[in-house]
Amino acid sequence: MSGWRWAGGVLLLTAIVTACQERLTSPADCPALCPGGSVEVFDTIVPVVQNRDSSFPVFADRASGYVDRGGGPALLVSNGFAASEDRAVYRFAPRSDSLVVRDTLRAYTVDSVTFNLSLIARDTLVNGLKVYLYRLPSSVDNTTTFADVDAQLVDINLIDSIAVPDSVNTGTLTTTLRGADVARVELPPGGDSVLAIGLRIAAETPTGIRVGSLASSTGANYTSYVTVDVPDTGSTRRQSLSRVAAFNTFVTQDPVIPDDRLLTVGGEPSSRALLRFGLSDEFLDSSTIVRATLELTPVRPIIGLPTDPTLLQIVPVIGDLGAKSPLTEVGTLIRTDSLPSVQSDTLRVEVTRIVELWQSDRTSPQSIFIRVPSTREAATFARAVFHSTRTPLADPSIVAPRLRITYQRSFPFENP
Amino acid sequence: MRRVLLVLMLVAVPATGAAQSSQFGVRGLGMPGRSLSARAFSTGGAFAMFDPESGLNPAALGRLTILTAGFAALQDFRHVENPAGTESLRETRFPNITVAGPVRRYPAFVGVSFSNYSSRDFTLASADTVALRGILVPVSDTLSSRGGLSDLRLAAAYRVQDAWVVGGAFHIITGSNRLRSLRAFADTTYQVATQQSEVSYTGIGVSLGVIRSFGPAFSLGASVRSDGKVNVDRDSSRVSTVDLPYTFGFGMRWQARPKLELASDVVVKTWSGANSDLLAQGGTGADNTFEVALGAEYAADPRRPSRRPLRLGVRYGTLPFSLVPGDQPTEFGLSLGSGLRFAQERAGIDLGLEHVWRSSGPYTERAFLVNLGVSVRP
Repeated sequence: MSGWRWAGGVLLLTAIVTACQERLTSPADCPALCPGGSVEVFDTIVPVVQNRDSSFPVFADRASGYVDRGGGPALLVSNGFAASEDRAVYRFAPRSDSLVVRDTLRAYTVDSVTFNLSLIARDTLVNGLKVYLYRLPSSVDNTTTFADVDAQLVDINLIDSIAVPDSVNTGTLTTTLRGADVARVELPPGGDSVLAIGLRIAAETPTGIRVGSLASSTGANYTSYVTVDVPDTGSTRRQSLSRVAAFNTFVTQDPVIPDDRLLTVGGEPSSRALLRFGLSDEFLDSSTIVRATLELTPVRPIIGLPTDPTLLQIVPVIGDLGAKSPLTEVGTLIRTDSLPSVQSDTLRVEVTRIVELWQSDRTSPQSIFIRVPSTREAATFARAVFHSTRTPLADPSIVAPRLRITYQRSFPFENP
Repeated sequence: MRRVLLVLMLVAVPATGAAQSSQFGVRGLGMPGRSLSARAFSTGGAFAMFDPESGLNPAALGRLTILTAGFAALQDFRHVENPAGTESLRETRFPNITVAGPVRRYPAFVGVSFSNYSSRDFTLASADTVALRGILVPVSDTLSSRGGLSDLRLAAAYRVQDAWVVGGAFHIITGSNRLRSLRAFADTTYQVATQQSEVSYTGIGVSLGVIRSFGPAFSLGASVRSDGKVNVDRDSSRVSTVDLPYTFGFGMRWQARPKLELASDVVVKTWSGANSDLLAQGGTGADNTFEVALGAEYAADPRRPSRRPLRLGVRYGTLPFSLVPGDQPTEFGLSLGSGLRFAQERAGIDLGLEHVWRSSGPYTERAFLVNLGVSVRP
């Protein structure tokens, strides 16, 4: 073997040996072997700043909120449901009483009418769901109350009912009126040609459903299949006339009235709560945040539709301007929490990333908004009301919003 | 065939072994480095007092005949045992780089080297259970350190007559440690917590050395080194000052046969000077250390002693930083190696393998160290 080959062989084999990936982690019986001290974890409670927690709209502005009733992506209908008693209302675009055929306005005869509704969510555990459609006065609008609507939902105004198969959880619900039944939705000549309907439901047990709305382009519509008599030719023309909802809302028997001593989230018009904290620079400088949990004490159970979870969002504020504070759009900082169908205990939401944001950016206000996600705002049964710093503390279980922070102090590395 | 077997042994044996870093380098300033060339390494350090490519004795530069650059790579395979368990580890480091040569027209020699003074490379993993918010939560902790102290040596030697060589060196001791503590929770709602710190070191030292030759077959060498103090800064703030040791070395070399050369050395370091400084910082202190080494080099061809010689060595010593108070760690090593010069002796490769056993109370480890040295003589 020549010297060059010997050297080459040694180099090659050594390269193979030394090319191994490093492994430096060994077990240790700390603190006996470990230099320095031990990791110590602490727990602290940081209450919200006194009187700096608010929900909007306040009582004085309760007529309007972030999203008004009916302006959300769904409408509520319920029947004896514990969360709320609701009826949905659709008012369709006008349908004229004549059609232009061969440059002439001609009257038509309605042969049949089909209604389409979008079922957004239901309690899939409740069977025997039936949706009832009632005719309402065309003057229905957002000033109409629950009592006004409910009084109209009587047999004489019944248009039809749709039995929803137990296997159908979402989708389009359809019913068609034919023959004499068409008269139930007849639009009298000379009238405003506007059809309005109200929805009520029934099921084996009290429950609720969410149906489509204009805001989510899932509002109800109806189609009239008509025949136009053309006397000059002795022929008839068959056409269909579709009309979508021009207005929709829902009415609630017991709407949430904002109480300035409490924090209201959700409901209709929808509310949001703003909380402000005051973590000191000393704490933020010297701590490594391990876990931060926002704790909120509900005034009463938050009831949502089973199998259609209630969502609450915690969103950090970019600049604290009160009710109109701009919110972050960074997805990783927005915490969305899903509530059980009945949330009666303290609500705990992990907000570690948000507190870390306050730690890394001291110009960021220590303020957060609690809201229902925009995809459900003013469109869910859940109405969350929490105690605030202004709640009279008669009961020790009443706790204002607070942060529970688990943190570590600086690790005591050993100085050689 | 013998040579092939030697190479295979050097490479194949380390399948279960270990390294320069050590669990015995967790405390204090870490695991003391050995500024050795691959040749000296292969003899347990016994030839270091006379080896110009090693950093122990500046007077050894006087053995150079031509400008020489050397580079060493050290791979360790370590098996660690302690009360928390066992683990097999491996690591690659580059412990020694030298450039040195004679000065034209003068019996003088100069050199610069960069070597490992102490190593603080480790990662310690432990598990525990802590009560958080009234619930017991399992946690795993990892404490890691990367870095250590390095020794930049500027050395010179002068040959006085033919029998004496004296040398001196100025040492700049510098380096840093990147420390990291990480805690992970079994309950993932608790975030992994990572904390870091950087420790930097600065210090200076001087060393003197002498080699006395009694004919071509026998030499004695001695060296003394003082490293003063090292300043320890954490994250740019001075946190402590630690006394570094005096180092006293003595060695002898004997050409017993034309084919056989023997050497031995003893190195004593007064690490106890750092004891009070380390205790004041909450450490476990330091003790004086010694190392005794005995080595041999067998040259198959006496006319070309650098052509695949067989090198053997054995050493025993103590380590300065105790894991168990009052129980100073000890180290025992057996080594062998070989080497080759080629390209008209202008290039060389040396390969060494050492099996090391270290222990202190319930803490033990055994390591295979593979040292590859490359030298160039342009």
